Amino acid sequence: MANIAAQRIKREFKEVIKSEEVAKCAIKVELVSDSYTELKGEIAGPPDTPYEGGNFVLEIKVPETYPFNPPKVRFLTKIWHPNISSVTGAICLDILKDQWAAAMTLRTVLLSLQALLSAAEPDDPQDAVVAKQYKDAPEMFRLTARHWTAAYAGGPYSNPEFDSKIRRLTDMGIESHDARVALSSFNWDLERATEQLFS
Amino acid sequence: MAESSVLEAWKTTIPCRYYANGMCREGDRCQYLHVEGTSHMSSEGEQTKNTRSELCAEGNPTRTESTSDDDSDSSNAETDPHVSGNKSNISKPSSLSGDTSSTNISTLRSAQVNQEPTICQYFQQGCCRFGDNCRNKHEVIENNSNSPSLSRSDNLPENSLINTFDEASTSVSDANSLLALSSLQTTSNSSDSSETSEEKCMDTIKGIESKTKLRVTAPEFIPGRFSSPSSSELPNEEVNDTKEASSAKTWAQIVNASAGNSLPPSQFTSLCPYAEAGDCPYAEACTYLHGDTCEFCGNKCLHPTNEKQRKAHTDDCIKQHEREMELAFAVARSKDKQCGVCFEVVVDKNPASEQRFGILPNCNHCFCLACIRKWRQAKQFENKIIRACPECRVTSDFVCPSMYWVDTKEEKDKLIMAYKDALSNKQCKYFKQGRGKCPFGNKCFYLHALTDGTKVDTGPPIRRHRQNADGDTDVLQMFLWDFLDERDNRWLHSLDDLDLLAFLSGSDDSDSSDVDIF
Repeated sequence: MANIAAQRIKREFKEVIKSEEVAKCAIKVELVSDSYTELKGEIAGPPDTPYEGGNFVLEIKVPETYPFNPPKVRFLTKIWHPNISSVTGAICLDILKDQWAAAMTLRTVLLSLQALLSAAEPDDPQDAVVAKQYKDAPEMFRLTARHWTAAYAGGPYSNPEFDSKIRRLTDMGIESHDARVALSSFNWDLERATEQLFS
Repeated sequence: MAESSVLEAWKTTIPCRYYANGMCREGDRCQYLHVEGTSHMSSEGEQTKNTRSELCAEGNPTRTESTSDDDSDSSNAETDPHVSGNKSNISKPSSLSGDTSSTNISTLRSAQVNQEPTICQYFQQGCCRFGDNCRNKHEVIENNSNSPSLSRSDNLPENSLINTFDEASTSVSDANSLLALSSLQTTSNSSDSSETSEEKCMDTIKGIESKTKLRVTAPEFIPGRFSSPSSSELPNEEVNDTKEASSAKTWAQIVNASAGNSLPPSQFTSLCPYAEAGDCPYAEACTYLHGDTCEFCGNKCLHPTNEKQRKAHTDDCIKQHEREMELAFAVARSKDKQCGVCFEVVVDKNPASEQRFGILPNCNHCFCLACIRKWRQAKQFENKIIRACPECRVTSDFVCPSMYWVDTKEEKDKLIMAYKDALSNKQCKYFKQGRGKCPFGNKCFYLHALTDGTKVDTGPPIRRHRQNADGDTDVLQMFLWDFLDERDNRWLHSLDDLDLLAFLSGSDDSDSSDVDIF
């Protein structure tokens, strides 16, 4: 790894550990390897959002050309969000792509992601299905996102109705995650989800 | 070399004393000017004087007198008049003791050669030790050559001179010369010999005397130090000179006898360059002026009498002081400044060539030059992104290199002006002094001038037309700064060695920015 990248990540790592967001448990960064090329980030779901109470784990890969190129970040925790792929966890965020600036840091990236959770951008979606739901059925999106937060990110708000529908499908031999994805995609319409799963 | 040119100057301007007396053995090989006739004698003094004062005026730290003595000594070693025992011997000791009387003596000598009987030159100087017994004529000659020391000694009270002489001669001369002297007197008195033999004998004695002095007891020659530290070691003939020397008369003093007394006891009116620079090893004994101490630089470089020089020096010192202050402030504000890209403290970066700031004209964020340039060359982003400050995204057209951080708008403007100025003195690599075409036209930062130096206005930047997908025509304007950073970088490496081009933002040397002008 280029010297400048390693040097900078080391500094940033120290900085982020000392930052007040860490003190408030809003963000967290851990080393995955000693080489500082790979890190694990964690952000708390922002309050007053469907993600409240959840902890979302991120994979951060630092390129050799860092900080002249953005780090590669994706969600390891499953999340229901228009700008985040519910399948791969890939993030659609301008600063992680063409709007990157060399002065940005791990901390600012994590804070930006947190902001993204509270303010989705459905017109520039990463996950078209989620984005469509976000626009057409915002209440359904909110419930779904909260359900996903409870299911994967340790969120406190479970939804018994959604849980029972998933159980119906798992009873038919469907993986619970696949069942959740199918139900979420069809606004929790059990019939259409089943149809799609068995077609 | 300066030395050889000085020698050359002598060769052509200083007449040969021996030749003037008709006995230069060097002939055509002589280093000195061979001028016909005695009529040149007066002009000799003049010329010597001129050369001398020129050298003094230059403030040449070499002791003019000493050098000339030294040189004449060595160049004429072969023809040492004392060795040959001929009449010219008298001129040698006097020339050794400084040139003050050499011209007089030569002048006298010429008179001696031409008129008989010989006029006693010591009497002319007011101190003939033989008094009435002197075989030479004791009378004051009305010499038109009007040698300075003659006229001066005329002014002096004869008694005091003679007194000092007597005093000196008893204390001065060593046993040998006294012996020789007394033997001379006895022989000359008792043997009642012819005038020629007496004269010859006299000359021989003098020759012996001065030779002894020359070879054995001659004071050690130390450049810059006055050549007669103790009168007791000097030959009798020199006593008069010695007296002059010990009272530290300058050539200028001797020339202008009236002004002489008011001058300080230094030989020259120019300041001693060693004292000026800090420390003169000769301290009080130095023949040059040691000025008053300047309260700014602490060196002895204020001329005691030259007000103009004092003022000029004080102004210089104040300016220097201001520059130093400015630099100190620049250093202080640059300290701890962190590059927003690499997060390192810019002035602590390694290697030292990286310790430079890249100042963006339109915002106040701090970056090191290498980082901001690298960012601005990133190919993976749109121009708009990389032209923007990585922190605030305010677009800047170029990066200005600087050794120090600038806080205020004035400082920054000054720095940028200096940068543009420097660039505008560099030939544009596209324009190629008229052989090429610069796409940036009159917006180019670099110099558009033909080989003869005339500047050319190449008009506005070239606009490029491009058909877009819809068939419309886009007008693209090329901006210099799109290329500037790239070029900067290309030249950066060669320029790293050229940090010498420390012209800088205003305070010339304070901000020796790397001047990446190419």
